[in-house]
Amino acid sequence: MTAVLATFRAAVLEARANRRAFWTQLAAMALNDVVWVIFWSLFFAKVGVVRGWDRSRVLLLLAILTTGGGVVLGLLSNARRIGQLATDGGIDAALALPVRPLAYLLVRRVEAVNFGDGLFGLGLFVIACHPTPGRALVYLLGSAAGAVVLASFLVLVGSITFFTRRGEAGDLGFQAIILLASYPVDIFSGATKVLLYTAIPAAFVAAVPARLVDHLDLSGVATLAGVAALFATGAATVFSLGLRRYTSSSLWTRA
Amino acid sequence: MSALSGSDGRPIIAARQLTKSFETGRRGRRQLVEAVRQISFEVSPAERIAYIGPNGAGKSTSIKMLTGILHPSAGAATVMGMVPWRQRRELTRRIGTLFGQRSQLWFELTPRETFRMLGAIYGLERSDLRSRVGQLGDLLEAEDLFDQPVRSLSLGQRMRCELAACLLHQPAVMFLDEPTIGLDLLAKQRFRELLVRLNQEQGTTIFLTSHDVADIEHVAQRAIVINHGVVIYDDDVSAMRRSLLATKLVELTLAGPTDFAGMAGVAVAEHTATTLRLVVDTAVRPVREVLDALLLDLDVTDVTVTDPPLEEVIAEIYARPRT
Amino acid sequence: MTRRWLPVAVASAARRMSRDRAALTVAFGFYAVVATVISTLWRTAANAHGGSIGGYSGAQLTWYLYFSEAAVTALNPRQIELTGDDIASGAVAVDLLRPASVLGVRVATELGRSLPRLAGCTAIGVALAVLTGGPVPAAAGLLLALPSLVLAVACNLVAQHAFAGAAFWIRDARSTWFLYQKLVFLLGAMLLPLQLLPGWLHTLAAWLPFVAMAYAPARLASGHVEAQLLALQGFWFLVLVTAAVAVFSAGERRLQVVGG
Repeated sequence: MTAVLATFRAAVLEARANRRAFWTQLAAMALNDVVWVIFWSLFFAKVGVVRGWDRSRVLLLLAILTTGGGVVLGLLSNARRIGQLATDGGIDAALALPVRPLAYLLVRRVEAVNFGDGLFGLGLFVIACHPTPGRALVYLLGSAAGAVVLASFLVLVGSITFFTRRGEAGDLGFQAIILLASYPVDIFSGATKVLLYTAIPAAFVAAVPARLVDHLDLSGVATLAGVAALFATGAATVFSLGLRRYTSSSLWTRA
Repeated sequence: MSALSGSDGRPIIAARQLTKSFETGRRGRRQLVEAVRQISFEVSPAERIAYIGPNGAGKSTSIKMLTGILHPSAGAATVMGMVPWRQRRELTRRIGTLFGQRSQLWFELTPRETFRMLGAIYGLERSDLRSRVGQLGDLLEAEDLFDQPVRSLSLGQRMRCELAACLLHQPAVMFLDEPTIGLDLLAKQRFRELLVRLNQEQGTTIFLTSHDVADIEHVAQRAIVINHGVVIYDDDVSAMRRSLLATKLVELTLAGPTDFAGMAGVAVAEHTATTLRLVVDTAVRPVREVLDALLLDLDVTDVTVTDPPLEEVIAEIYARPRT
Repeated sequence: MTRRWLPVAVASAARRMSRDRAALTVAFGFYAVVATVISTLWRTAANAHGGSIGGYSGAQLTWYLYFSEAAVTALNPRQIELTGDDIASGAVAVDLLRPASVLGVRVATELGRSLPRLAGCTAIGVALAVLTGGPVPAAAGLLLALPSLVLAVACNLVAQHAFAGAAFWIRDARSTWFLYQKLVFLLGAMLLPLQLLPGWLHTLAAWLPFVAMAYAPARLASGHVEAQLLALQGFWFLVLVTAAVAVFSAGERRLQVVGG
C-alpha cells in the first residue's frame, strides 16, 4: 500500500473511533443546508430571475458546492488548518517521516461529519437538478474539480501564515471563498467579478461547474481543468516555500 | 549493521557553525533572536551523546535542524552524509526521531495500527514489519500494549510504544528530544536502560537532548552542553566530572567529638559529633595531602571521597558567562 | 447585588475584546464580505425587478442588509455550543460559587465582547452602504437603528442562553447552534426582509422573538422610522430574560439534585 493510501486508511480508522454525536451533527449539517434551499425558494418566488440565474440553476450551484465542499472538509479536512498547523508545530509530525508533507497532512485527518454536506448535495442533485447520466457525470467531475480549486485555495491562504505568522488570512480566506461560491456569480460586476475568477476563484468552485452541467462545452472544461491544475500547483509551491520558513513550536501536539 | 555506515572514520553527525535566528515581537518591535549560534560538533557512529542545556537553551532548535524540520539561518550540518533540510525524505528513512512533546502514535488507534501505517510509509514488507514488531515487543516488553488504544495507555507505556514506532525501520541514528519528560522515576530508568541496550546490541547512535542530569549519568558517554544558543562544553562525561570542578567531597566518620582547626583549601560543609564533611579545593591542595593531615590529626573510623554530584557540575557550566 | 456587577462585566469584556486585533480583523473582514455579498444580491434583484421588491428599493435593501448582518455577525455564532459545553462539562457549576447570578455575568461578558465587534461592523456597514446604496434613506431611522442594534444583540444573547440551557437536560445540545442560527436568518428576517416572506411565514415570524434580533434595526436603517420597533425589542428582551432565568434556575436546581 502506498504511503498516502496507508495514511488515509489510518485517518478513516481514527474518524470511526471518534464518533461522538456523529448522527446529530450530520443531521444538523443537512438541516443547515435545507434552510438555504428554503431561502432561495423564497427569494426566487419574489424575484423570478436575476441576471440569468433562476431557482433551478442556484440549486444546482448548491448541489455542486455542498458535494465538493463536503469532500474537501470531510476527506481533506486539514486543508483549512494549514495556518494553524504552521503556528502550533503540527507540521513536525509530517517532516519526521519520509513522506511529502503536504500530501500527508491533507489525507491525515478525516472529518466524517462533513459527509452530511456531501450527502445533501447528492440528494439535492438527484431531487431537484434533472439528473440524467450525462448531467450526473459532469456534476461529479465538476464537483471534483471545484473541490480541487477549493482545497488549493485553502492551502494557499493557509500557507501565508508561514510568512506572516498570523492566521487571519487563513480563517478569512476560508469563510470568504465558501460564501462567495454559494451565490450566483453574475450578481457581481466589474472588479469583484474579475476577482472571483482569479485571486479568489470562488466562481470555479461551483458556478462554472454548474454552467457546464447545463451547457457542456470543451473550452469551459479546459478552463476549469486548467484553473484547478494551476491552483493546485500554486498551492504546492507556496507551501514548500513556506516550509523553509517554518519555525515549529514547543507546544505539545498529537501525531 | 546499518550503524557501520560511516565507519570509515567520518562522523555520523556533523554540525558546523550552525545558526538559527527567529523573529519575535509584534509589528514595529520585531527582534531577531538567535536561538542557536554557530554551534559545531561531531558525533561518531555508535556514540551515545547527551545534548543538555536549560530550558530555552536551543536544544530543540538544534535537533530540529539536524532532523530536517527547520532550515538553519547559517552554517552547515550533515547526518549520515546527508544535509538534513535538503535531503529530508531520504534521511528520515534512516533515522528515528522521538520527541517528548510530539507523539508519533495516533491517539485513537492502537499502536499496531499506527505501525501498519508507518510500515507502508517506510516501505517495509508486511512480513518484515510483522517480525520487526514482534522483536520490538520483546525488546521493549510491550507486546501486550500494542493492541490497546493509545489513549488508554499510561505515559510510561505510551513512551515504550513510541520507541517501538521509531525503531520499526531500524534506524542507524536515534534523535530523542526530552523523551523522559513526565515519566516517573522507574519508567525513566527503564527507558534509559533500553536506549543503552539498543546502542550496545545494535550499534545505534543515540543523540539525546535533556535537561535531566540523570540522563547524562545513565545513558551518555559524552555530553555536549549548550546554553544561550552556544556550545559551552563538549567532553566525555567522566572527564567532565574530573576536570571541571576542582573539588572533592571528603566525608569522615569520627570516633568521637573532635575539633577541626581548618586548613587552607578546605571548607567545612558539616561538622557534628560523628561526622565531618569537607569540600576540598584540589587546586589549592591535593586530596592526598588533606587526607594525610586529617588522618594524622583526627581520630577517624571511616573515610569516603567522592566527586561532586553532576548537578553541581552542570550548574557550574551553566553559570559560565556567555562568550 | 447583581446589578452592580453587570456594567463592570460588560465594560471589562469590551475592553479586552477591543485589544484582540486578530479576532477583530477576522470578524470585520467576514462582515464586510458577507454583508456586501447579500446586499449586492438583493440590490441586483431589485434593479432587475423594476426598481423595487416588496416595497423596498435597491437603496433601502442595501441599508437593510448591512444592518441586519451587523446585528447578527457581531455575535459569536457558536456561543450556544460554548455555553452548552460549559453546562455539560460542569464548568457552570464552578460559576455557582460566585454570588452574582450565573446567567447575568455570562450574558454581560458576552455582550461586552460583542460591543466592539458591533461598533466596528456598524461603522464599516454605514460606509459600505453609502458607497454601494447611496445616502441613508432617513437620518432619523439611522439614529434609532443604533440603540436598536444594541437591543438586538442583547435579545439574541439572552435567547441563545435560554436555548443553550437545554444542555442541562440533553447531553448533546451543542450542535443545535446551527438550527438556532438559521431560525434567526429566516425568521429574524436577516437574509430577507419580513415583508418578503409569504403570508403564513410572515405572520409566524412576527409573533416570534427573532424579529427583535435582526429585523428591527434593519427596518429602521432602511428608512422606515417605526419607533415602536424599539418598544417591541424591549418587550422581547424582558420575555427572553424571564425565560432564560427560568431555564437556568431549573437547570441549577437539577445540577444540585443530580450532581455536576
